[in-house]
Amino acid sequence: MAAGERTGQSGTMRTPHASASQRLAMGALLAATLVATGCGVQIPADPDGTLDRVTGGELRVGAAVEPGLVEVEGGEPSGPLVDLVEDFADSVDAEPEWTIASEETLVTELEEGRLDLAVGGFTDQSPWIDRAGVTRGYPGIPGAEGRSLVLLVPLGENAMLTELETFLDEEVGS
Amino acid sequence: MTRFGRTVLPAEQRVALRKAIRWEIFTIGYTTATIIAVAFVVGNSQAMRTAWIEDMLSLIPQIAFLAALLFVRRSPSRAHPYGLHRAMGVGHLVAGVALLAVGANLAVEAVTGLIAAEHPTIGTVRVFGQTVWLGWLMVGVMALIVIGPFFYGHAKSKLAPVLHNKLLYADADMAKADWQTNAASIVGVLGVGLGVWWLDGAAALFISLGIIWDGVRNTRAAVSDLMDRRGRTYDDRHPHPLIAQTNRYLRSLRWVDRSAVRVRDQGQVFHVEAFVVPRWGRVTTRQLDDASAGIVRLDWKMQDVVVVPVDRLPEEADPAT
Repeated sequence: MAAGERTGQSGTMRTPHASASQRLAMGALLAATLVATGCGVQIPADPDGTLDRVTGGELRVGAAVEPGLVEVEGGEPSGPLVDLVEDFADSVDAEPEWTIASEETLVTELEEGRLDLAVGGFTDQSPWIDRAGVTRGYPGIPGAEGRSLVLLVPLGENAMLTELETFLDEEVGS
Repeated sequence: MTRFGRTVLPAEQRVALRKAIRWEIFTIGYTTATIIAVAFVVGNSQAMRTAWIEDMLSLIPQIAFLAALLFVRRSPSRAHPYGLHRAMGVGHLVAGVALLAVGANLAVEAVTGLIAAEHPTIGTVRVFGQTVWLGWLMVGVMALIVIGPFFYGHAKSKLAPVLHNKLLYADADMAKADWQTNAASIVGVLGVGLGVWWLDGAAALFISLGIIWDGVRNTRAAVSDLMDRRGRTYDDRHPHPLIAQTNRYLRSLRWVDRSAVRVRDQGQVFHVEAFVVPRWGRVTTRQLDDASAGIVRLDWKMQDVVVVPVDRLPEEADPAT
């Protein structure tokens, strides 16, 4: 508190407030320092480590059938979205493992941590936004036909989301 | 604007008032710009959302101040025999209640989010062909807009005592504490960045508790004054020194034996009832008029003064010490 301040007496009252926020400010500084010195901290990180687990391992993908985007023949999914996911899996050295189910089942499995990624006819108007992490909309995906398509990841897995969006920006533009 | 009710403002107050109006208009412009800037980066962070809504709430005191000024300048009339000075207190009350209600709502949102373990999802945006994590932009914007309140907060806190304006004082006080909101939201976002998902909700809770506290303080202060508490200093810390000064003045009059005063704050100006026990039990109307005029001359805030001759001083009035 500056000595010349007219409201000098108020200093005592605000002290507990200030010290709490000073601790917060210290925390911010510490976090910033960690980043600046680049001591192996990745930002953003996944609270549940999805991207780490997927990289060089298995990518558990759920797909909902959507004509022109995801088709299933003899249990094998195909279509533009499927190709896109396989390319993404390649980019992180992962092996995709497919599950075919309805949208709601896919979202539930994302929530329960049994899937890493879900695709289908999801658009940027998706009602699942409270239950899954949603990418930005990509109208440039083949077969989108004017829709702004999104892909779904588990809520709050921000490293996974960032990796995926960075990949999509390069592949199909934004 | 040169007057409050029946008082023509002294030069110092006139200058301070003009500056205060300018600072309030500047604040509204600045805050509007920050609200628009934050809108672009608010994303799914509860801390950012809470800070954003706090920014919107922080407009209320300025709007209330400017609106109240339109009323308090009017002279007393038959319909409003005490003038319209209470407009300032009403504005103060509205600001306090709004802070309280919205702050409580945001605190509940933060707590339910924490209990449900909602992991905030913050993705990327495209900036000049680069894919950038939105969290960095949030941190950047919050760090940038923290500057303004330091300037206008300190400027207004210098003007509030000159004008004896509690709404302006509360506004300045909140602006000076505003950096805590920005710091908290930065911590929340960086926490999410490091994978500590609950830091976002914790920061949101910290910010909303600050809003609630502001609401409680302002509502309490406004209600006390509207309920005619004894006049206090602009920061509500002490009984106003003009009370003792009025008694000293009355005691200096030869015909006054004892005196006591009731002073209530109408918002910037005081309503004064002075009770006097005349020596020898006699007083003329001329003496009463002169005493009343003498009290008005003590300070520009002494707006509405009545001097009442009595046999016994009322107990609740402040006696001369």
